[in-house]
Amino acid sequence: MSGLGQWTLGARRSIRHLAADPSPDSDATLSDGSRVAVIGGGPAGSFFAYFLLRLAHTIDLDISVDIYEPRHFTHCGPAGCNHCGGIVSESLVQMLATEGINLPPSVVQRGIYSYVLHMDAGSVEIESPVEEQRIAAIYRGNGPRTAVDMPWESFDGYLQQICEKEGAQLVHQLVVGLERNGDFPVVITNEGTTTYDLVAVACGVNSNFHMLLDGSTSEGKPEVSRTFITEFKLGADAILETLGDSMHVFLLDIPRLEFAALIPKGDYVTLAMLGEEIDDDLVRRFLDSPEVRAAFPADSIPAVCACAPVINVKGPERPFGERVVLVGDAGITRLYKDGIGAAYRTGKAAAETAIVHGISTDDFETHYFPTCRAIANDNMFGRLIFFFTIAVRKSKFVRKAVLRMTAGEQRRPKGRHMSGVLWNMFTGSAPYRDVFFNALRPGFLLGLAKSLAAGVRPPQKES
Amino acid sequence: MQPASPEVMANTGMPKYRPRQAEKAAPCEAGCASGSDVRTWIGLVAQRDRTGLDREQAYTRAWHTITDANPFPSVLGRICPHPCEFGCNRSENDGAVAINALERFLGDWAIEEGLGLDVVDAEPKPETMGVIGAGPSGLSFAYQMARRGYSVTVYERRPMAGGMLRYGVPDYRLPPEVLSAEIDRISALGVEIRTNTTIGVDISVEDLRSAHDILYLGIGAQQPRMLGIPGEDGPGVFTGTDYLSRVNDGQIVEVGARVIVVGGGNTAVDAARVARRSGAEVALVYRRTRTEMPAIPAEVDEALAEGITLELLTGPVEVLRTDGNVTGLRAQRMRLAEAGPDGRLRPEPEPGAVFEIAADTVIAAVSQQPDWTALDGLDIREGWVATSDFGGMGGAMWAGGDVRGLDIAGSAITHGRRAAENVHAKLRGMPPPESRRSTPIEADRVNFDFKESRPPVHPPHLAVEDALRNPTAEPTATITEEEFLAEIGRCFSCGLCMGCQQCWMYCTAMSFTKVLNPQPGIYYTLSLEECEECGKCIEVCPCGYLEVI
Repeated sequence: MSGLGQWTLGARRSIRHLAADPSPDSDATLSDGSRVAVIGGGPAGSFFAYFLLRLAHTIDLDISVDIYEPRHFTHCGPAGCNHCGGIVSESLVQMLATEGINLPPSVVQRGIYSYVLHMDAGSVEIESPVEEQRIAAIYRGNGPRTAVDMPWESFDGYLQQICEKEGAQLVHQLVVGLERNGDFPVVITNEGTTTYDLVAVACGVNSNFHMLLDGSTSEGKPEVSRTFITEFKLGADAILETLGDSMHVFLLDIPRLEFAALIPKGDYVTLAMLGEEIDDDLVRRFLDSPEVRAAFPADSIPAVCACAPVINVKGPERPFGERVVLVGDAGITRLYKDGIGAAYRTGKAAAETAIVHGISTDDFETHYFPTCRAIANDNMFGRLIFFFTIAVRKSKFVRKAVLRMTAGEQRRPKGRHMSGVLWNMFTGSAPYRDVFFNALRPGFLLGLAKSLAAGVRPPQKES
Repeated sequence: MQPASPEVMANTGMPKYRPRQAEKAAPCEAGCASGSDVRTWIGLVAQRDRTGLDREQAYTRAWHTITDANPFPSVLGRICPHPCEFGCNRSENDGAVAINALERFLGDWAIEEGLGLDVVDAEPKPETMGVIGAGPSGLSFAYQMARRGYSVTVYERRPMAGGMLRYGVPDYRLPPEVLSAEIDRISALGVEIRTNTTIGVDISVEDLRSAHDILYLGIGAQQPRMLGIPGEDGPGVFTGTDYLSRVNDGQIVEVGARVIVVGGGNTAVDAARVARRSGAEVALVYRRTRTEMPAIPAEVDEALAEGITLELLTGPVEVLRTDGNVTGLRAQRMRLAEAGPDGRLRPEPEPGAVFEIAADTVIAAVSQQPDWTALDGLDIREGWVATSDFGGMGGAMWAGGDVRGLDIAGSAITHGRRAAENVHAKLRGMPPPESRRSTPIEADRVNFDFKESRPPVHPPHLAVEDALRNPTAEPTATITEEEFLAEIGRCFSCGLCMGCQQCWMYCTAMSFTKVLNPQPGIYYTLSLEECEECGKCIEVCPCGYLEVI
């Protein structure tokens, strides 16, 4: 899939243009000695800081960047965690490599070679469509509670390190307010206040920092949906016996449950669930369902960590203001998946805007907002696809057809239409638009029609 | 930091970490000899921005919090061995918060600003208090009673008030004007201090009994113990307290070129350093090793830096004299045997290892005991007066300070305060005050990552030559205001909320609500209705205030 490349081509042209004519047209620009604050040291904040400093170096601009992050990702458990399922696509890993960010094997685990789709009608294993599209797993922090000898390094921690190498200063302080001194943003911590030329807000949605923002920094708040993530300590050998080296995705007809996935990670298994009001009862119904029990006998497996992080399902209306820009989940992100890919794109686009064009509201409106809008527009296709998923989940007849088609495809090397759609729906960084149009291809539609027709029962309404 | 939780099996439910706000005792407060609410007064300054106090208001309230328990912050800020710092949870990381230096800054600031002590209850009471001895214990009792409306008279045999603080602590450790300033504030509450008044000479105990409803005995331990070895009687031999009190009194005491001080406590080290300041070569002779020396380690370090030598594992045998003049000390090499009944390793002579050390003066600073002159009929056990926990001797007699056993000034101040609280409760028919101390919170409950690792403030030291050339100059300075604020920011407020906002910030269920008028320790209310039980708030809480239900 070439989506990622397309999203970034425009910006590269701008940099070449700037090298020839380094005179931005904005009143508010970064200049030698400018100070930039990044609020939040997760991927979005780090990508922004990294690209800002790299671009500044290329045009000999001398700026300083302070990344505010009170937490240490060397901690295990929620205190050093950034709440996510921890799946990145291999294509994103490769994309980052072309940017000079080479994630070492201690950070990215390339141990997942397929995923298994489980439905009541049966299960089917879907191999990665092409070698480049394996799934990589990460821990954003230092692993779940009780993880003492984690062989993995924190993904977020690694990104912070590369920012520090580029010259960013990591400030381990909680930002408790963002105010203004004239046009200039002022960062308030428990230790004092500092005025900056530019502030990038990368606070995500699992902090209430966005509640402290006013209309001068952005407009509207992100809309969120609550998820549930828990970690089981099973041991690597037992995991290989039960889950194998596959990620397991469940589309089950359990009320309130939209989607669930079990992801093997070393000695641990991450369970990520999407749904309404996920409580103990729902988790138990899921774990006790025959489909889950067959793949993952949860009895006697200790659950060591559980949390209910929220995800951004719709960004703020205007994720920027004068000398302030919101990146990553605090701004616009991709629906349900690939948050790190979105952090990369928004972080980079905001950094390029700041260096190439300027840091005024108009600059961000003209040069940063299009990237956000592109993601938001793609999310509309994502919503359509998820309507389809719900239909699959709710209709046993369709479930059987999907299963039949996928299983058939997996027996042959080519023409894996359904497999490709499913793969890209749950993994990968391909735009939802591509997934959607792939699903409209004749091969897919024909295959689906055949599979539906092969159903023993005539079509029914939702069961 | 990991909150304890039982392992949960996946089929029986998910791990639950429901938070609760629970104040715990702070190790600094548990360790403070004078009973001061260390965490509270540090919090008043450290959290001033969050509670809407300006610097002056914060300093003032902090100082009043200290002086509620201890009317001598400037004094103790200089001389206290600061047990408050021993338990500081930061000491295991990058060094204890320099509480003693902070107290000294606030004490000096208050003297400069002319702050007065708080009155608790201005309503005059009919009973009058008599206090024997104007040392730290007697003055603490006098202060606590005077601020509760009692009339108090203190009887002191010396020309000036202060007791050991005045006559036992050298001026370079405690400038006399600092002591006077803090005593004057107690006098300003209406306490009458009758100096040059010796019990049994100028006034009898019977007179005191009839003049006062309550008598407080704070006579200290003024009687020095000699070494009990041949040759110690005669010129050239002093006791530590005698030597120090003469020097503090302004007398010129000739000690010659070589001085031996026998003992390992603070009096010994003080005497050695004062003698060193007179230009003598000084050797400190001690029976055990450096580890067993009861003196404040930093004071020993400074003594060594000033050129004082340590003769460890050395016991005095005989003071040598020629024509009556001291020429040296015959000494016995010791070794440490197993611990004696007091738990300390017992020194025993190494057979045959006897040697001589040349000296012109020997100062014996081994111990002191109370001087019981004119005090008959007291219940004295093993040399010390017997009292209840709070100093009650039965009837109208109370006692505190070194007369109950040798201890530091902070303990003497606590004796005075506790006795006063109990006397007041008894006289007013109130229940006795309760002790509120519980087990302090330990370092593994503190989230050290919340603050940058940074060593404690290190106040500038006077160069040794300058210290020796100016015998009354303080070797360490009071920290600057900038240093004070930086150091106070190192406190983690162990066991009590400091309003850092992390719990509020990271709880997307919005279980924490900010209170309208925050006070140190009171910043958020907690409601568990929407709680997701992830426990993140507990793990990020720097103070160990939040805990698992």
